[in-house]
Amino acid sequence: MVSSSVQDVVSERGLSRRDFLKFCSLMAGVLALPRPYMKRIEKALAAPARTPVIWLEFQDCAGCTEAFLRASRPTAAELILDVLSVDYHETIMAASGHRAEEAKQTSIDAGGYLLVVEGSIPSAEDGIYCCIGGRTALDILQEAAANALAVVSVGNCSSFGGLPKASPNPTEALSVMELVTDKPVLNLPGCPYNPVNLTATIVHFLTFGELPAMDSLHRPLFAYGARIHDNCERRGHFDAGEFVKEWGDEGHRKGWCLYQMGCKGPVTFHNCPAVRYNDGTNWPVASGHGCIGCSEPDFWEFGIYTTIELDAFTPPTTYAPVQIPAQSIDPTSTAVMGGLAGLAIGAAGAAAYQALSKPDENGDASSEEKE
Amino acid sequence: MAKIAIDPITRIEGHLRIEVQVDDGVVTDAWSSSTMFRGIELILKGRDPREAWTMTQRI
Repeated sequence: MVSSSVQDVVSERGLSRRDFLKFCSLMAGVLALPRPYMKRIEKALAAPARTPVIWLEFQDCAGCTEAFLRASRPTAAELILDVLSVDYHETIMAASGHRAEEAKQTSIDAGGYLLVVEGSIPSAEDGIYCCIGGRTALDILQEAAANALAVVSVGNCSSFGGLPKASPNPTEALSVMELVTDKPVLNLPGCPYNPVNLTATIVHFLTFGELPAMDSLHRPLFAYGARIHDNCERRGHFDAGEFVKEWGDEGHRKGWCLYQMGCKGPVTFHNCPAVRYNDGTNWPVASGHGCIGCSEPDFWEFGIYTTIELDAFTPPTTYAPVQIPAQSIDPTSTAVMGGLAGLAIGAAGAAAYQALSKPDENGDASSEEKE
Repeated sequence: MAKIAIDPITRIEGHLRIEVQVDDGVVTDAWSSSTMFRGIELILKGRDPREAWTMTQRI
């Protein structure tokens, strides 16, 4: 069951060594590891050991399971199912009823598995709001966590409580890290989470024997270390002051910044702009809707239609004005527009521009631009 | 006369328990229970309709 290596599985499926190496380099890329580490990943995955996985579903919608199963890049999808030896997963396992429970018990007794949890755990009325096989989720989680190597929460519900925890939290839903305190817990929030981040986490675990570096919310830094806003493909429009003001308006059709339509990208940490969903097909902002902040705690309380409060809501004076005036071509305006183009490149350029542009006697550096 | 319970029902989305009453090899009664509750209707109460779609699609 766990004797064959990932490379064996690759060969059995008729995939080439090249496919295997492509997978290794993809993983090194997602983990933001320098190139030499690809060799180490390759070595780790070729070793004859596959990690058993128990996947528990509690207060979930199976959306994270769907994301996991829809990993459409064939090599990755097949590898993930075979890098792991998935011993228990209600949505995909053949056995049901007491036979399913027996399979889980056998794995728990053997120990040394990764425990993946999807969905929050209700604590109201002794946990009766989620029962499987006649036992509460509270009970099942504690038992399964006891012998696990580590616990990985997939999705916002198991990471932070998610939708069930949304006000007024009728079932007193809890996250995994509120209940499991004596094991390493890693959170992969998102609604759904991105399966490439689970694959990368497991590859990291197999390669280095430990979970990747995490932030204070137990999220791996390789996937949640940067704000969506900082890597957003619409960022240039934000810097240029080009905002969508209404669904379907001209700016929306042109793909401008969704900040004023309630995009939560500036306060959300996730690698969506880089890895996208459905194996790089698309992600919410590219499809024309703002980020809803689904990798952050309590994001259901933000109100998806309301704009967020930034520390400095008014853009600094170095940002281009929201309305760029039409100007005729002459030496002065060409210089100004050149400066504006520089601003759009980023904050560093903007800061440099500010340093170089001496305020005039009125203390207003941009008076020229507004004429 | 026997009562059989199958819990969990696998290969479905969601949590389901089925109990059947079997008398002389014939199923005479059956009960199905959805064994997980989140209270999405209670969460939706009093919220702005403009966010209802994001919540209900998570059912």
